[in-house]
Amino acid sequence: MLLIKCPYCEEERPEIEFSYAGEAHIVRPTDPSKMDDTAWAEYLFIRDNTRGVHYERWYHIHGCARFFNAVRDTISDKFIMTYKMGLPRPADVEIAKVKE
Amino acid sequence: MLSEKTGIHLSIDQGVRLAPILTNETEIGGVRLIDEQVRYSLRFKPEDIAAVRKASQLDLPANIGMSSIKGGQLVLRLGPDEWLLISDLSRALALKQTFATLSSKFTCSVVDISHRNLGFIVHGENAENILNTGCPLDLSLHVFPVGKCTRTVYENTEIILLRKAEHEFHVEVWRSFAPYLSRFFETSVTDKAQIRMGARDDK
Amino acid sequence: MKNFRKTGRGRIRRARLISFTFDDRQYQGFVGDTLASALLANGVHLIGRSFKYHRPRGFLGAGSEEANALVTFDRGPGRVTSNVRATTLELFDGLVAYSQNNYPNLKFDLGAINDIFSMMFPAGFYNKTFMWPKSFWDKVYEPVIRKLAGLGPAPTEADADHYASLYGHCEVLVVGAGPAGIAAALAASEKGDRVILADEQNELGGSLLSNPEARIDGQLAWQWLDKSLETLWLRKNVTLLSRTTVIGYYHDNFLGLVERLTDHQGDINPASPRECLHRIRAGKVILAAGAIERPLVFAGNDRPGVMLASAAQTYLNRYGVAVGDNVAVFTSHDSAYETAFDLSDAGVKISSIIDLRADVSEILLQQAHERGIAVLTGTVVCGTKGRLRITGVRVAKFQNQKVSNGTEHIACDCLLMTGGWTPSVHLFSHSKGSLKWQDDIGAAVPDMANENTLSVGACNGTFGLSAGLEEGSIAGGGGNPFRTEETEFGTGQTWQTLPTNRDPSRIKAFVDFQNDVTEKDINLAVLEGFKSIEHVKRYTTTGMATDQGKTSNLNAVQIASKAIQIPVQKIGLTTFRPPFTPTSFGALVGHRADDLFDVTRKTSIDGWADDNGAVFEPVSLWRRARYFPQGNEDMHAAVARECKATRNELGIFDASTLGKIEVVGPDAAKFMNLMYTNPWTMLAIGRCRYGLMLHEDGYIMDDGVIGRLADDRFHVTTTTGGAPRVLRMMEDYLQTEWPDLNVWLTSTTEQWAVIALNGPHARKLLEPFIDGIDLGPEAFPHMAVREGTIFGVETRLFRVSFSGELGFEINVPAHYGRALWEKLFNAGKAYGITPYGTETMHVLRAEKGYIIVGQDTDGTITPDDAGMSWAIGKKKPDFVGKRSLARADIQAPGRKQLVGLLTTDPNIVLEEGAQIVATPGQSVPMTMIGHVTSSYWSTTLNRSIALAVVKSGRAQTGSNIYVPMPEKTHEAKICATVFYDPKGERLNVV
Repeated sequence: MLLIKCPYCEEERPEIEFSYAGEAHIVRPTDPSKMDDTAWAEYLFIRDNTRGVHYERWYHIHGCARFFNAVRDTISDKFIMTYKMGLPRPADVEIAKVKE
Repeated sequence: MLSEKTGIHLSIDQGVRLAPILTNETEIGGVRLIDEQVRYSLRFKPEDIAAVRKASQLDLPANIGMSSIKGGQLVLRLGPDEWLLISDLSRALALKQTFATLSSKFTCSVVDISHRNLGFIVHGENAENILNTGCPLDLSLHVFPVGKCTRTVYENTEIILLRKAEHEFHVEVWRSFAPYLSRFFETSVTDKAQIRMGARDDK
Repeated sequence: MKNFRKTGRGRIRRARLISFTFDDRQYQGFVGDTLASALLANGVHLIGRSFKYHRPRGFLGAGSEEANALVTFDRGPGRVTSNVRATTLELFDGLVAYSQNNYPNLKFDLGAINDIFSMMFPAGFYNKTFMWPKSFWDKVYEPVIRKLAGLGPAPTEADADHYASLYGHCEVLVVGAGPAGIAAALAASEKGDRVILADEQNELGGSLLSNPEARIDGQLAWQWLDKSLETLWLRKNVTLLSRTTVIGYYHDNFLGLVERLTDHQGDINPASPRECLHRIRAGKVILAAGAIERPLVFAGNDRPGVMLASAAQTYLNRYGVAVGDNVAVFTSHDSAYETAFDLSDAGVKISSIIDLRADVSEILLQQAHERGIAVLTGTVVCGTKGRLRITGVRVAKFQNQKVSNGTEHIACDCLLMTGGWTPSVHLFSHSKGSLKWQDDIGAAVPDMANENTLSVGACNGTFGLSAGLEEGSIAGGGGNPFRTEETEFGTGQTWQTLPTNRDPSRIKAFVDFQNDVTEKDINLAVLEGFKSIEHVKRYTTTGMATDQGKTSNLNAVQIASKAIQIPVQKIGLTTFRPPFTPTSFGALVGHRADDLFDVTRKTSIDGWADDNGAVFEPVSLWRRARYFPQGNEDMHAAVARECKATRNELGIFDASTLGKIEVVGPDAAKFMNLMYTNPWTMLAIGRCRYGLMLHEDGYIMDDGVIGRLADDRFHVTTTTGGAPRVLRMMEDYLQTEWPDLNVWLTSTTEQWAVIALNGPHARKLLEPFIDGIDLGPEAFPHMAVREGTIFGVETRLFRVSFSGELGFEINVPAHYGRALWEKLFNAGKAYGITPYGTETMHVLRAEKGYIIVGQDTDGTITPDDAGMSWAIGKKKPDFVGKRSLARADIQAPGRKQLVGLLTTDPNIVLEEGAQIVATPGQSVPMTMIGHVTSSYWSTTLNRSIALAVVKSGRAQTGSNIYVPMPEKTHEAKICATVFYDPKGERLNVV
């Protein structure tokens, strides 16, 4: 069972308090009606399924009840960092720094 | 409550009967079901906290996971914009007024959830053990000090946990999960009475 | 019977002689014995038959690594455990155990014919043999394989025991209470950190228990042990767990420990759990798991009486048992000499030490000489003799890489072997730490850790008492305070298959004793093209038995490495997976059995339903009253009566399980507009609307009636099962897409008990008890909500109907639910009130064509498919799912649409889920155009009704379709979905 640091609670908490919520930084288009079917399908269905550094969302459902973002290495399963919803995707250099 | 129109009394039933092994007062402690209480879920933007505190005269804790305990009234900060207020019935009317005023003055959400949850007191030296039978958090005093509170899990139930004293925890759970939770408490205490896990083999 | 007990040795409690039974024969032993040591004390070596060849087997080891000595441990009904290692089974008075895998008995086993025909059972035997014909699988192959496979019998009764579990936390978890582990625990606990020291054995001490002559700080091992354990025991921050196996090492220093609580007790306390699963989160993990001695691979190395040298030392020093009278030792490692000397000093004859190595330390030779023990250096064992017990060995000279032809016979009743030592890296591997090959010990040792963990002592390849103590203490944060006097642990060689002067194709040299895998099998697998060690493992099944190859893996890897001609460093090890040793299902289940398996949510009214004979059904986690049979009624009769009463008089229904969410804030309407298909801005305060919620893909996700209580407050209801996912999806959009909206969501499902009154008398019953609400039809129209009191208790009263009758849903705070129900029920008797359950609710709503999400929809149904385009706010610029409804394939003709079905024969109730075809009598496979989603007998209409989804169904209204069933093909006509009161006039009853 992983330990996950909730950026709102600012604590490491056991995985069973959390629920996975898919890939992060996929923003719902502000005006979906303006999109063609291909672009809409891209938003709706297409995900990266990254091997390695993956940006994803978690939901502290049995804690503070907030969604937040995380960077996790899908090979080692290790969380590299977590950050609050709305913050920009951390740059590669930031990730590299934390990994150090 | 008594109806003016019919004069008929509707009785309260919290729906949980605790096993005697939980309520028997022993030196290692046990579990009590708290009588009916008033509960409100209070939501507002975190930046309004000072203003809301002033307007409501409520002792709203500033940090997530902290609580204020004053008389029969608890306020728990469960998330960035979420506070849970629990009080005994004596303050019911006053609180109703407070929150009516608050709702009119601030952008917020006040929802009465008095009957949604039940409250238990888990107490005594065995309290941490009862809770750690199903709750994965580290409840040692230096990690989970008096006053700390959080939503978490106890096996298949979601609970809210508040440490009121070294050997006293307040546990909130949704009504329909309460019998399951109390049965789990019961098993924990029964097993604890039967065995001394980790005990040294007497030669 | 001869007694092999040696006086003055061992830690057994000789004060009390106890009796036990093995294969129906009674023996005696002492408290402190294992079944293995007690049997050996009685001279019993034959303990079981091997898995494939049914060869007689004896004890290989003395601990959890044991491969051969599996027995069935019988504690009475519901307490029979098979495949228990006799070497770890603690003896108690009255213990009963049986040998396994033999017929008719252990000494004469018919299955042993497999051994004679062993050439027919090579590696991959099952894969090769049971290939065809396919039809043989069910009737012939599988039953036969099932009978042959496995060792002990499967239990026939439910487990009579119960199990506990507990979460725990510590700064340091030490695994293994040998000298290194104890040193680590002593150092780590000095400053008050919480330390857990766990060991799988009944006594803490590890190798010290078998090595009483060692000296630490001038004290004999056992004195030092007692003193150290006392120190640890007195520290409040230390938890000592004996009989506790660390079964798995998971992410972020989370470990599973199984503590055995009652298996060693003579009298079972049935109230006590049998085992406890400790789920421990540790800051740091110190692995001090020790090492396992490695067998040598030579012909006949599996005969009863052939055993690991360290095991013999343990039997002697810990249990006071000599494993034989005339013991030969075969070794390639110095450590075996210590055992030989201990046995010799205890008066056991050592017939000879046979050492593969030409050069052996002068000191050892000198010590052997002093004891009169012959040492044959540069010598190899080429075979063993004896059927049910070894009687002797054949040895030959091994010089210059050649085995001479001449053999010499050496008589013995026991042969001890040492092929080197294998560090126990299992747990380190569970934690995803990497291993590296260490040539001098011929084994893999921990390399890079993936967690905060340190390996110390023998499991780290650090052998010897002094080095282990030092490494342990330093890992625990201390210095090295210990002075030791010990025989040097020494060195050795590791071998693959041993050289022999016999035809290698005619001998059986066992690698994996438990799965009966020989060196030949591994070579054959490589010859047949398996080059990956993982494939060789699966093809030969080496290392795949219940011992997971604790004694065999490294020999297998080295043999495979030689055969594949890839250096052992590169070939890799097979993956270690939890659990470390076989673990009971009970331990994994813990408390969560029977009523604690999962939550059964009950409403506040459930108790009344129970008292009044309701039959329940599960709906998500809830249990709901399905119907209330009277007398001898079956479901059909009860539902017919309940339907009739509700349509004609008055029905009362517990709707408390409906999901409820309070949506509050100035942007509440805006948010509702985005989440539901319907428009909400213009909904007046005090009015309700049916709400339809889609996934972003445009398919129906949930529905419910939603009331507006204030400008900024909506009372949302959801389906019973949908409540959690609706709240989650709302929170997701609110927090991540529209965080600027000033609105908050609160689950109020459990705040309110909900009693639905349906039927012409509903208003009449209710009116006298309500304060503050005018129930008149104009003041309180259909689809309205009011707040007032009932019996003085605050209520949110909805005028809604899921039955087509005049209906009210009374919400009161949950703790009043049952009291209110009872009052209404008693008062309602004057109106013929009838309680009804979910089954009647389903029939009533189907008569009205109301859908149930998840029954009439299946995740591929759009609002238009369900005939609910009316629920879509056409003018709204956006809502979740809107864009998807414009996708070409959602707009395309030919989609399945919800329709009603009336069977030509009104008595036929179609089966839900039955497939629909356009014409009868098609050849198989028929072209299916839809399926039945809901189907009931309607008492009201005195005929059957059904809902179905049919391709372009609405355009075919009036046409016949067909439902082929095994016994008959049924004909039905497509009709509108509303079967009863299509104009809705019954809602207006005054």
